[in-house]
Amino acid sequence: MTDAVFRETTAEPRTQAVPLSHLSLELGHFYMEDFEAGPEHLRHHFDRVRPWVEAARTVAADRAGGRRPRISTCFLIDDYFTRFSSPAELVPLLLAEADRAGLVVDYLARESACADAGKVPVAEAVAGRLVEEPPPGSYGIRPPATQTGWLANGERSPVARAPQAMKKATAWQPPKETAARRHSVFLDVELWSDTPGGHRTWSCPFLAAVWQLARLGLLRNQGEPVLVPHPHTASGFPEDWDELPPLIRLNPRADPFAAYRTCSVLPNRFLPVEHAVRVILDQTEVDPEALRQVTERSAREAVAVPDSVADRVSYVFYAGA
Amino acid sequence: MRPGESAPHAVLACGEVRTCLLPAQQALDSRAAAQLLGLRADERVLLSERPNLYGRSPDILTGVDCPLPSANGSRVRAVGTVAARASLTEGRVLQSSAYFRVPAAGPDHRRPWGHYLVRPGVVEPFGTLPREAVAQGLLAGGRHGDLDVGLIAGGLLTRLLRHPLLDQRPPLKSRPTRLRWVALPADPGDGPSIERFTLAEDELRTVRLRVPEDTRSADVAGLCDDLALHDWLLTTVVRILDGIRLGSAPPPARPRPTAEDDRPPVVRALRPAVDHLLHLWMPRARVAEQLAPLWDVLEERPGFTRQWQTLVQRIRDQLTLHAIPSPHREVEPVP
Repeated sequence: MTDAVFRETTAEPRTQAVPLSHLSLELGHFYMEDFEAGPEHLRHHFDRVRPWVEAARTVAADRAGGRRPRISTCFLIDDYFTRFSSPAELVPLLLAEADRAGLVVDYLARESACADAGKVPVAEAVAGRLVEEPPPGSYGIRPPATQTGWLANGERSPVARAPQAMKKATAWQPPKETAARRHSVFLDVELWSDTPGGHRTWSCPFLAAVWQLARLGLLRNQGEPVLVPHPHTASGFPEDWDELPPLIRLNPRADPFAAYRTCSVLPNRFLPVEHAVRVILDQTEVDPEALRQVTERSAREAVAVPDSVADRVSYVFYAGA
Repeated sequence: MRPGESAPHAVLACGEVRTCLLPAQQALDSRAAAQLLGLRADERVLLSERPNLYGRSPDILTGVDCPLPSANGSRVRAVGTVAARASLTEGRVLQSSAYFRVPAAGPDHRRPWGHYLVRPGVVEPFGTLPREAVAQGLLAGGRHGDLDVGLIAGGLLTRLLRHPLLDQRPPLKSRPTRLRWVALPADPGDGPSIERFTLAEDELRTVRLRVPEDTRSADVAGLCDDLALHDWLLTTVVRILDGIRLGSAPPPARPRPTAEDDRPPVVRALRPAVDHLLHLWMPRARVAEQLAPLWDVLEERPGFTRQWQTLVQRIRDQLTLHAIPSPHREVEPVP
């Protein structure tokens, strides 16, 4: 029912587009204990990150096909699992150390924004978009092995029953990765945990998957973009983490926050978390209209973007110790 | 163009629609409809008020990896996602509709799941699709373990029927119906056509369509939702008229306690149809322009609207006759 004279806006899907860079480059993901370790720890981190940032820029420039690549950098601070100090104290320290290493942090995000971005329960919305990878033999029923709050990359090992008297115990059967190449690397990811009081705590890999989707410009709420950068206009930073906007643009001349691809430079202790992120992204159905907008825009710019969302994400793991 | 809606072209689309009366005494208003159909927190329910009240949920996906049903016993494995959505017409008739499309051929191995998720509603065959055999197999229903699109539509309907908004007190008795459809490509240059519309036993209807290659499968599903809705209305009203004894009612065996029950049984039986069903007839209300002509065929034979108008006229005549006090009637109301 296109090109009709009569239109009803509530009857038509509408999805707002977001501006897109070529690459979203994550310069770090810090927990409060990282900050507790003092400014030397930050300095050490940025020194390790810098050469990889250069490498990532070079690759992005190659992919941009001769034009100036649009690259934005970001930094994620965990204020969800533990809280320490205040933005007024930590953010200037962080920026000074980045600057010292010759790096610019364009955007700063709080991890709790990946759970609730302002009024939008974004983690819950993403959880509602999980479409579990069907093991062979799935003909329309929900996968029988669904465990609430867990997501696997294959079939779990059958639950061993207590052997009855005079009967042999059932032999153990291995779990099976659905996309295994001959042998399995089975991973079962805890997405959240609930307290008896009904409070839900999202797991670190799940929030990191939401963070990747935000950086890929694929999150929408009722068609509106989620995690829109807030310009930083005040001279300082607030005393309370809750008063810091979920995502702030620190550099007024920065390229757009969201991008066709992401690259994160992280110490290698993040490897298991990011494997879990891949398992989650591989089973998340993102907003089809947001996906179409990215496909269309990249085609117009003649920039190759992988089909699969998980393949748009890349990493550099540096020796953390 | 949606990702995956492009090449390779789908050469077969299939779906199943379940239609039932909303089990609630009062029809739902738009706000309640949006609550019922809000299958996802972050996606809007599409609401429309013209030409009638209508709400539609976002599509949700179910992953499948199993053989496609086929008439000749070939077991073609296929992997992908089946899309399903629910809709509510005038706050009264609830439908769930599951559908997918299949390209002519696919690789002979399973790809990473992310590949399928960016092609919502596409199920890719391993190797070449034996199109005709699978089309027949889908309409006839497969063996246990074959792809079961009805199971997916039914699962979504069951989920919605448990919603706390519904008081489980429907105003009239009715049975849900199922309509299963397949769409094959029309010959180049030809428009869409209905090859067969079959009323089978057990409340099952099957429809076989030919559509031009660029037709979106969601539009075909929309047409079939519309056919299913009107077929359900006919089925339900026919059954109401079938179940009552026309003519003057015998005097009640014992005095009835309330004024409400003093009405003749015919009036009691027909009243809910007037209250809840008669205003729902509106063929083509939301059918894609390109597919709307398909209705003409059914209007010609068997003549859906002709039958409906006759039924409505009968109901009105009965109620009019019963509105005339008995002593003034020259004839007793008979069909």
